[in-house]
Amino acid sequence: MTYNIAMVSDFFFPQPGGVESHIYQLSTKLIDRGHKVVIITHAYEGRSGVRYLTNGLKVYHVPFFVIYRETTFPTVFSFFPIFRNIILREQIEIVHGHASLSSLCHEAILHARTMGLRTVFTDHSLFGFADAASILTNKLLKFTLSDVDHVIGVSHTCKENTVLRASLDPLMVSVIPNAVVAENFQPLALQNRAKTHQPISQLDARPPPPPPQRLGPEDTITIVVISRLFYNKGTDLLIAAIPRILAADSHVRFIIAGSGPKAIDLEQMLERRVLQDRVELLGPVRHEEVRDVMVRGHIYLHPSLTEAFGTVIVEAASCGLYVVCTRVGGIPEVLPPHMTTFAKPEEDDLVAATGKAISALRANRIRTEGFHDQVKKMYSWTNVAERTERVYDGITGAISEEEFYGDVSGGGWSATRGRAGVQSFALIDRLKRYYGCGIWAGKLFCLCVIIDYLLFQLLEMVFPRANIDICRNWPKKRRESRDQIDEEWDEAMPLRMARSRASSRRPGKRRF
Amino acid sequence: MLTTPPHLTTLRPSPSTVSYTVSTASPRQTFPSQFLHYFLLLQRILLGLATLLVLYAKTSNPPSPPLAPLSEHLARFPWVQVGPLAFTSLFLVFRRFHTESLLTLRTLGIQTSTLSSSYLLPSDTRFIPTSQIRDIFIHEAFRGFEVRYYLAVVVEGEGEVVVVFPNLLPGRAIVEEVWRGARECLYEPKG
Repeated sequence: MTYNIAMVSDFFFPQPGGVESHIYQLSTKLIDRGHKVVIITHAYEGRSGVRYLTNGLKVYHVPFFVIYRETTFPTVFSFFPIFRNIILREQIEIVHGHASLSSLCHEAILHARTMGLRTVFTDHSLFGFADAASILTNKLLKFTLSDVDHVIGVSHTCKENTVLRASLDPLMVSVIPNAVVAENFQPLALQNRAKTHQPISQLDARPPPPPPQRLGPEDTITIVVISRLFYNKGTDLLIAAIPRILAADSHVRFIIAGSGPKAIDLEQMLERRVLQDRVELLGPVRHEEVRDVMVRGHIYLHPSLTEAFGTVIVEAASCGLYVVCTRVGGIPEVLPPHMTTFAKPEEDDLVAATGKAISALRANRIRTEGFHDQVKKMYSWTNVAERTERVYDGITGAISEEEFYGDVSGGGWSATRGRAGVQSFALIDRLKRYYGCGIWAGKLFCLCVIIDYLLFQLLEMVFPRANIDICRNWPKKRRESRDQIDEEWDEAMPLRMARSRASSRRPGKRRF
Repeated sequence: MLTTPPHLTTLRPSPSTVSYTVSTASPRQTFPSQFLHYFLLLQRILLGLATLLVLYAKTSNPPSPPLAPLSEHLARFPWVQVGPLAFTSLFLVFRRFHTESLLTLRTLGIQTSTLSSSYLLPSDTRFIPTSQIRDIFIHEAFRGFEVRYYLAVVVEGEGEVVVVFPNLLPGRAIVEEVWRGARECLYEPKG
């Protein structure tokens, strides 16, 4: 069963980041599995309109007004006409939204339900419950997630957080972690070996493990930090910890990459303590350069205060770095204990944990050589795509309810028709779901949904479906049968025609 | 007024020349549509003549003998009423259907033209020689609340592409047909 899927998020390339690469990698792998995927995001500077990426991934950069940190202004309804147009011309069946701070994604889910499509939401971040901003975001999240078919969290912590914030039925939240492209994050030793012994390693079934690196007590240990320098990434913690770590061991160096509002604080600290020769600031690095920075170090320090998954620590471990990180959010689920040292998110503990990691490395108690292969086995995007596909199968009814949700016969309700009922697109059923959101919010949300529905009917009259061109699909990869050729694009692909002609000339293959 | 969705008319006067015309005027293949067309044309001419007559009668002073009753009658209406009415009717008379065309001449080049919306205004025509054409392609773009297909020509030495049928932006089927034909005409089919 293949689907036409639209990934909707405010966050996409050219802006770098975890959500962005998640969407890209997931989409690519879904296309490999025979689905059709388009991405809808807002226009970035110098990038507006329709673009194709590798593998026929189509990206719609919708021109919109950006307010804060690449998030569009939440206008609720203004996105609907263009969204409907894209959905109809691409014949989308499933709308998959990403990131809870993206208003584009929330609006898309609302409109998609109005149009009678299946919706999935992936949450990439954790939120608090106490401050005003969180309360507002949570209410907004509750609004959209009142009527979503399925939710995906990137870690179990993230799932719990989302379930609490949007008061969801836990059964309709799945956990599918992020992954890394392990080939892009190879340790230095592995890559050198691959370069020098290319013919030999091809002959060998399994290349021998690289020799363990020995670190003497006098050798310099380099600690790498790659993160955007924001408050939630724990930059303040880092600023406090760096002088103490450096004071404790004179053979430690830091490499810090990334930019953000806290960069100025970091620089001030370095100047005040005169640590410029021991701490190297690289500024912003591109995602493809991250590996080259990582392999220069031995330890990766991740002082984040909140993190739903933390792809970067997987990348670091894949590069063969020992990871020191704070025990927050989904981080403890990400890596096995022998790759990490955990610290509480406070200055003293972080310094102590780093010190422990340094002495463990010096004593050669940690074998980082095997990290890459272990990570490679644990995380792959193909696996993520398979699991996401299963979610799609579950919500469209391709696999049965019992198979998808497990045995849910215990209660008087079923998971799909329960509080966040999924089956029915009827307006009255949808209104019932929204009405339960709160005394005032429930009524407000109902009003929004009704307006949305009326707007939909208006759009059907003003821009009738018949006038919307249906897009041509990118020539699909054949999943099962290799003979089945997409006839439509043959003239654009002379190579394939030549190949099929050649194969038909082969004796025994003729059919006349 | 009697417009249809944009439709394509192809003319091949010679094997090396093709003209593609996209227009919103209703096609004149059947007898009733032809009859309607000429009937409307006649109406236009009559309306135009009538308007001119009214204007002449209103302005001529003293009125010529055969127009005297009309002038007397018109004298009761001030210019504020007659002026806009006459202007509107003349506007309708000279209005033209949206018509845009692409003429491809093998080995010479292509010519895009957009007929103006009125017979009185000049039309916009542009010829691009083959030597300056880098490529001709179909792409999609946002326009208003829609995503539309467009056919574009990349011209050497220009920062922007030349969009063919820029106002009508016909649908995918038409654009693809024109694209195929134009490529065939520009780059002679191999072997």
